[in-house]
Amino acid sequence: MNLKRKQVVAASLFLVPAAAIFLLFFYVPFIQSIYYSFTDWSGIGAPTFIGWDNYLHVWKDPHMTEGLKNSLKMAIFGLLVQNSLALLVAISLNRQFRTRSFIRTAFYLPVIISLVVASVVWGQMLQFDGFINAVLNQIGLGAITEDWLGNVKTSFPSIILLTQWQAIGYCAIIYLAGLQAIPKDMYEAAEIEGARGFSLFRYITLPMLMPAVSIVLFLTVVGALKLFDLPYILTNGGPGTSSYTLFLAVYNAAFKENNYGYATAGGIVLAIFIVIVSIVQLTFTRRKEVEL
Amino acid sequence: MNDSKRASLGMEIALIIAALLFMLPVLYLVAMTFKEPGIFYKPLKLPDQLYLEYYKQALGVEFFRSLWNTLLITIGGLSLTIFVASMAGYALSRRKERGFQIFFYLFMSGMIIPTVGSLIPLFKLATSLHLINTRLLLVFLYTAGFIPFASFLYAAFTKSIPRELEESANIDGCGSVRTFWVIIFPLLLPATGTFILTNAYGIWNDFLTPLIFLNSSEKMTLMPMIVQFIFNKQSTNFGPVFAISVLAMLPLLLFFILTQKHMLKGLVMGSVKG
Repeated sequence: MNLKRKQVVAASLFLVPAAAIFLLFFYVPFIQSIYYSFTDWSGIGAPTFIGWDNYLHVWKDPHMTEGLKNSLKMAIFGLLVQNSLALLVAISLNRQFRTRSFIRTAFYLPVIISLVVASVVWGQMLQFDGFINAVLNQIGLGAITEDWLGNVKTSFPSIILLTQWQAIGYCAIIYLAGLQAIPKDMYEAAEIEGARGFSLFRYITLPMLMPAVSIVLFLTVVGALKLFDLPYILTNGGPGTSSYTLFLAVYNAAFKENNYGYATAGGIVLAIFIVIVSIVQLTFTRRKEVEL
Repeated sequence: MNDSKRASLGMEIALIIAALLFMLPVLYLVAMTFKEPGIFYKPLKLPDQLYLEYYKQALGVEFFRSLWNTLLITIGGLSLTIFVASMAGYALSRRKERGFQIFFYLFMSGMIIPTVGSLIPLFKLATSLHLINTRLLLVFLYTAGFIPFASFLYAAFTKSIPRELEESANIDGCGSVRTFWVIIFPLLLPATGTFILTNAYGIWNDFLTPLIFLNSSEKMTLMPMIVQFIFNKQSTNFGPVFAISVLAMLPLLLFFILTQKHMLKGLVMGSVKG
């Protein structure tokens, strides 16, 4: 009994540093933000309690609503297109060929590049007199040239496509890791049973890949909700509110308009969305995994 | 799965083309840094000489100061996380008492709760602790953000270490602290490696945190510096901005090339164990 007690004390001491840093710099501010979200507060003076007003205003503010719509568009695009392309790339990379390691590196390279640097390059390439339009003119598609980031219709779609440059490689590597973790004898057994081609994929690869799928889906949706750097640097949400994201709307409300109470309410709404997505995703993919 | 199916030639060619397209923006970025002002805004022209003026402008005091700050904060954040999260993960994995369970779930919720809403209270907290505009604050913030993931990683890896190791060390009169650092921690090296390989980029490339919590150029890291460069000098030539971008990317690129082989392995372990 005495030994056990000693062990518990020792283990508690091991936990203290991490717990202290985590509580002080993560949890306490989070709890405080819940309080501030019910107040009108500009950062100076005392916050005044205003009940649910901030939360009601979030749904009337075009920055927030447009930001939310954009994040949803991006999430749906990510789920359908990015997810399938990443899986396709991963399945191809899982085969044997000479240039494999070069191609794997090429796909993963954009992942390590910061969004800031990505914005610098792509901002230049997407300008009206930039690289993309120059290429389009060269190959006779001059008719579809566009000021890609300066146009209400194309600004956010361009940003979505930009995110793909990094997201596909990242998700493909996670899928590849998942594929390589599938034991080979499972395929052999299935082949003996007569499974071929697509049914191998459907009944072995896909169910075994479900943990990887769940990670990728989660990263895709949360990434869409939290997107900030690209629109901040490239368009600052414009033109109009066409390329706002929820995160950018929260940032601008806080640090441009000093409307801290309102901004934290926006932050909480964002947090709630992320929590909902996490729960839906966890229960959904867990069920899928069990089906195996 | 080394003797998996071979890819057909057509598929290989399609992949090579796609890979080259993925690399194009990076090559374009590098090419831009060597283009003299006369052809800088002609997007299809390749540099015809090695024009180094932008690099000369970029390699000023400002750049080296930011590089140093970024390096300090990255190494500081990773080290502090490894130090506290390895101990915490170990404790959480070994003890099943209620108190530990509560912290387990508290940490777990930290992986879901986003920090956007907390930025303003954090700002206030940092001001009252006199930590605003210090590199130490960023080290703490990154550590707080990484603790959930890193603790789980360490907890998962601890499970595969037999308890008998600690018990026999204890019988030999080795205290818990020494047992951990001398015997357990070295065995957790794969977890440490996985953590560094997957999170070094996050700190190095982060833009938002230094943007909010640092305000003097003395303390600034590389990414906000690049953005300030863009916003301040919008009308003038973009050449130096491109050159700084390449220089800021270079250390990570080196790190990536050196650790690439382990990276894939690390991701596998992170996802299987985590």
